[in-house]
Amino acid sequence: MATTREPYSRYPPAPPAAPYGGPDIYQPDLYPDDAAGTWDEEEQPADDYEPQRPQPPRRAAKSRVEERRADRSRVDEWMDKDFKFGGSRIKRKAVALILLGAPAVVPLFLMAPAFFTTNFNTVSVSVDDTLGTGAELCLFLCLLVSPMVTLTGQRWFFGLRRWYGIMMAFTALGDGFAAGFTDTFANGFFGRLGGHVFELMGFMMMMLLVPLLITGNPWAQRKLGRYWKTLHRLIYVIWGLLFFHLILLEGAGFERGSNGSGFAGDGDPIFHQRLYQYSACSLFLLTLRLPPVKRWIAARQSEGRNWLVWVTIAPIFALFIFGMIFIVNEEIFKGIDSFRETPAAE
Amino acid sequence: MSAMYDETYAEDGDVQARIGGFLLMAIAILAGILVIAGLIYAMGTGARHRAAVLAGGCEPSLFISGLPCTTQQMVISQYEGIVNPAIRQLTADTAAYRANEGRHLVAAEAALTAEVATEQALDNSLAAMTFTPQNRARALALNTNASATGNQNVPPAAITFTPQMTVVADALIQANQALANLTAEQARSSSLTELRSFNPRAEAAGAAVQTEMKLLHEAVTAPLTAG
Repeated sequence: MATTREPYSRYPPAPPAAPYGGPDIYQPDLYPDDAAGTWDEEEQPADDYEPQRPQPPRRAAKSRVEERRADRSRVDEWMDKDFKFGGSRIKRKAVALILLGAPAVVPLFLMAPAFFTTNFNTVSVSVDDTLGTGAELCLFLCLLVSPMVTLTGQRWFFGLRRWYGIMMAFTALGDGFAAGFTDTFANGFFGRLGGHVFELMGFMMMMLLVPLLITGNPWAQRKLGRYWKTLHRLIYVIWGLLFFHLILLEGAGFERGSNGSGFAGDGDPIFHQRLYQYSACSLFLLTLRLPPVKRWIAARQSEGRNWLVWVTIAPIFALFIFGMIFIVNEEIFKGIDSFRETPAAE
Repeated sequence: MSAMYDETYAEDGDVQARIGGFLLMAIAILAGILVIAGLIYAMGTGARHRAAVLAGGCEPSLFISGLPCTTQQMVISQYEGIVNPAIRQLTADTAAYRANEGRHLVAAEAALTAEVATEQALDNSLAAMTFTPQNRARALALNTNASATGNQNVPPAAITFTPQMTVVADALIQANQALANLTAEQARSSSLTELRSFNPRAEAAGAAVQTEMKLLHEAVTAPLTAG
């Protein structure tokens, strides 16, 4: 493809430069799952759709992208407006994103006193509860963005996906390093990280997060081009490895009497079983990524029957909220104990 | 040709959308069943919690989440630590009174005065163990402080009776207070004859105290229940 700058470039033209902190201009082809297409009038093919659609002429593709950009929801437009704050003007979107993104720093904040005071007792007892659970929360909130774009048609919060992904990486790496230094298994740092299968799963997640963390910025998007999207599909591998990490850690059962997972301190071992929490949240996140489901949603939205989509999604979303409540509950209680450096072991 | 492609694509798209709809409905029904099951399970939380606390040997009505629990053995030990010394002292005071009631008014009244002090000290110690808002607040503060310093044992001063034990303890305190008042009045006697005239009433009051003490002992040592 020839451009005015690089007539013989091997790569497609670079996307417009975006400020660090998330592209203001939505780049649908550069994200692992394009959720925005559900609001287009014409259907978008699923990623693995077989029949080859004849490639439209370049001018039509460009106008389709322009149409998508023009067809912004009213909320997106409202969010883009400024308001007076103090002595300057600030976009409503900026304030909302700061508020919605603030929870991502909570797990690291809660562990900070133990790290700064090198309180190995607190770190060894509660780092997996605080940082591990925190990383899981950040992962789910990161994965939640695309389904919410699918359902609402709004895009103003899309930048949260990268933010939560980055914070998930830092939190998970913190958990992994702390486990490597303080766990009671034998054979040093790597022995502690890889000596047990569930920790090996965690170690693999850490390794896969490193390239995602390094390339989670507009510069890397430009440099990697179409390969950036493929690389960042690794988040799904990490999502799957988390399942194995939890099933090996917790098992598939729950506490009965005084044995099993879930800690029945409040009489709800099933709700506190981490694998069950993961499954409850993942069902919603996975369902809204299935291409046939996205097609159905797009069809109902184009018919103007968005209410039917919400009614159908409601039980799955309720299950997601159920799971999240108990994950957040654990993060708060274990996190406060970690912050006060009085960790409570299960 | 492109119209044929578009038509084929549109039909395949409709099929995909229908499949998506069925899939979504099935998953939504499954999720709905799980949510309802979860809510039903949540309704039994209280009973499961009490059973879990009992399984740990803790007194359910004294359990505070996040803090070391008060076991029945702790309550028994604390109760016996209050009552046994008081009983021994009262036995000694009663023996001293019996030895002097026939011949030595001052010594008999001194024994009775000591008995009153023992009975009032017993009342105060039992009252400090009853399940009242003030006592529970003090217990919570003491337990929290101990837990914050890494002490996983419940401080003795933070151990209280359960609400059921408190009912019996209050009856014992009242009976003991009535006995203490009678004993104090007896100690103000001006003659040995007047002193001895209180004996039948004092014995009746003492029997009432012993009955209540026996009931409290049974309440404290009764097997733990979830209710």
